[in-house]
Amino acid sequence: MAELLRANVLANFAYFRRSRLLIAFALVFLLLTGLTSLPTFFINSSVQNFNSLQEIYSTMNVFLLLFAAGLGLFVVSSHLRNRSLKMVFTKPCSPAVWLLSAFISAVVVTLLLNLVVLASAVVLSFVWHLPVRAGLLFISVDTFVASVGLIAYLMLLATLAHPAIAVTFALIFNADLFYDAQMWAQSVIRSGNSSPALRLLARLFHYLYLALPMVHAFGKNRKHLQQLARPAWRVAISSPLPRLRAGAGGFLLFLSPIRLAEKKAHLKLRSGLQSLGSSPVRYTRTKSKDQHLQ
Amino acid sequence: MIVAEDLHMHFRRGLLRKQVHALNGLSLEIADGDFFALVGQNGAGKSTAMYCFLGLLKPTSGKVQVMGKTPGLGSPHYEGVAYLPEEPHYHLYLTVEEATRYYSSLYGKRVPDKTINDILERLGLAQFKSLRLAKCSKGMKQKVGIAQCLIHETRLLFLDEPTRGLDPLAVREFRETLREIHQRGATIVMNTHVLSEIEMLANRVAIIADGKVVAQDELRNLLTLDRELYNVTFEADGVIPDYLTSVERVGNVVKGSIPKDRLYDFMDFTRISALPVHECSLKKISLEDSFFKIIKGEGSHV
Repeated sequence: MAELLRANVLANFAYFRRSRLLIAFALVFLLLTGLTSLPTFFINSSVQNFNSLQEIYSTMNVFLLLFAAGLGLFVVSSHLRNRSLKMVFTKPCSPAVWLLSAFISAVVVTLLLNLVVLASAVVLSFVWHLPVRAGLLFISVDTFVASVGLIAYLMLLATLAHPAIAVTFALIFNADLFYDAQMWAQSVIRSGNSSPALRLLARLFHYLYLALPMVHAFGKNRKHLQQLARPAWRVAISSPLPRLRAGAGGFLLFLSPIRLAEKKAHLKLRSGLQSLGSSPVRYTRTKSKDQHLQ
Repeated sequence: MIVAEDLHMHFRRGLLRKQVHALNGLSLEIADGDFFALVGQNGAGKSTAMYCFLGLLKPTSGKVQVMGKTPGLGSPHYEGVAYLPEEPHYHLYLTVEEATRYYSSLYGKRVPDKTINDILERLGLAQFKSLRLAKCSKGMKQKVGIAQCLIHETRLLFLDEPTRGLDPLAVREFRETLREIHQRGATIVMNTHVLSEIEMLANRVAIIADGKVVAQDELRNLLTLDRELYNVTFEADGVIPDYLTSVERVGNVVKGSIPKDRLYDFMDFTRISALPVHECSLKKISLEDSFFKIIKGEGSHV
C-alpha cells in the first residue's frame, strides 16, 4: 500500500511538473500579479507598501485557491481522458488507492505553494521594512484548508463528469448557493411558517453549505486578517476553525469518489475511460467568483 | 487460467441510447501456459472480451474467472498480471525510466535502480531513458510495457493489437521477447488482426464473430491439410491439362492445383511429355483460409 501510494504520488508530481496547462495557468497568474504590483516597487511610503503587500498576498491566495482546484480537477480528468488508468487498474492498485494518491499529491503541491507564497510575503515585509504580521500565517492556513476542500470537491466532480461540466457544476452548486438557500429558509421559518419539511430543508441547506468548499460566511474575520492587523487570538483561531470544518466536509466529499470507485467501479470508470472528451476548461468565472469570496 | 461462460455485454450509446450488443454469449477457456489468440473482424467483440477478463468492464451477464477469481479493477490477485494496451494508453508525461519504474512499482514492491537500468539496457532503451513517452515511437513504448513483464515474472499477459504500427524489425524483436516470456511459463492472451503473427506465435486460437466464439481450437487443427487438392509446379511449353485450376504462369513455369483423383493422370502427363516437376504436395490451409471459411459459416471448430 505504501509503495503503491509512493509510486502514484511521484507519478502525479511528474504530471503536475509537466502539465502545460497548469504551468500556463500559473504563469498567467504570476504575470498578472507581477504587473499589478510593479508600480509599488517604485514607491517609498510605508503605508503604501503595507497596502501593496496586502494586495499582493490577497491576490496570490486567490490564485492558490484556483490553482488547487485546477490540480484536483486535472489530475483526475486528464488520466481518465487519456485512458492511461488502464495501465494502473490492471495491476494490483485499486481505484481507491489511486484516488487517494492523487488527492495527497494535489494537497502536498498546494501546501508547498502556500509555503512559497507565505515566504514571499515575509521576504517582501523585510524588503519594505514592515513588521512580519501573524495574520500572514493565519491567512495561509485558512487558504490551505479551503484548498483541501476545493481539491476534494473538484476531484469528486471530475470522477463523475466531464471537466467542463464539473467546473460549471462547482460554479453553480457551491457554498454560496446553499448559504443563500439557508438564509431564505430561515427567514421563512422566522416569518411564521415552521413546517417540519421546511425545517428539514433548512438543516439540509446548512449541512450542504458547511460541506461544500468556498465558504465565506466568516469573511468578517478573514477580512480582519486580510488587513494584516495584529489579530487577537480569538479572531485568529475562529477564522481557520470554520475552514477546518469545511475542509473536513470536503474530505468527506473526497471519500465519495473512492466509495464510488469501489462500489460502481466498472460503470463509472467505463464511462470515464471510454466517453470523456477533451474540451478545454475555462477558469475565468471561477476566478471572479472566488474574488467575490474575498 | 481464464474461464468465460456465456458472457453478455450490452452498451447504450448515442443520444437515443441505442443498445449495442458487444458480447452475445461468449464462452471460452484458456489453459495455463497457453499462447492464446483472439481473432475476429473489427467490432467482433475481441477488445470487449479482453476488458472483461481484465476487470475493466463488468459483463451484463455471464461469468468470468481469471486465475480462479472474478476480475475487478486493481484486484490484489493481479500480482502476476500485465496488460499492454494499444497506443496511446500510457502515461505519456513520464520518461522511459520513470514509466518503467512506475509500472513496476504498481505491483507493490520497490524495484531497485539497478534492475531498472539492467532491463532498460537489455531492451535497448538505456540511451532513451530520459525521453518522455509522448516523444517515443510505438516500438519503444511497447518495450516499456514489456519491461514490467520481465521485471516481475508475469504469469498472465494480455496484449491488445501489440504489433500495430511497428516496423518489421521491431515486430521481429517483439516476437522474440514474447516467445521468451511464454517460455518462462507465462500465459499470453493476444488480440490481433495479423493472422500470420498468430501462426508464428499462438498455440490456441478463438475466432470471434458477433460477440461470440465461433471457433476455438488448437492452431495446428486450424492449419490442416486439404486432402482433396494437390499443389503442383512444373515446366510446360505448350498445352496444359484442363483439370489444372488456379493456374499461374511465369515463363514456362506453371503453378496450379489438381483434384486428388487426377493425380495419376497428371503424373502420366508429365512423364509422357518429359516435363520437369518442381513441386507436388497436398494443399495446406492457412489460418487465413480457415478464418474466412469459419466466418462465412462453412466450417466449425467450436
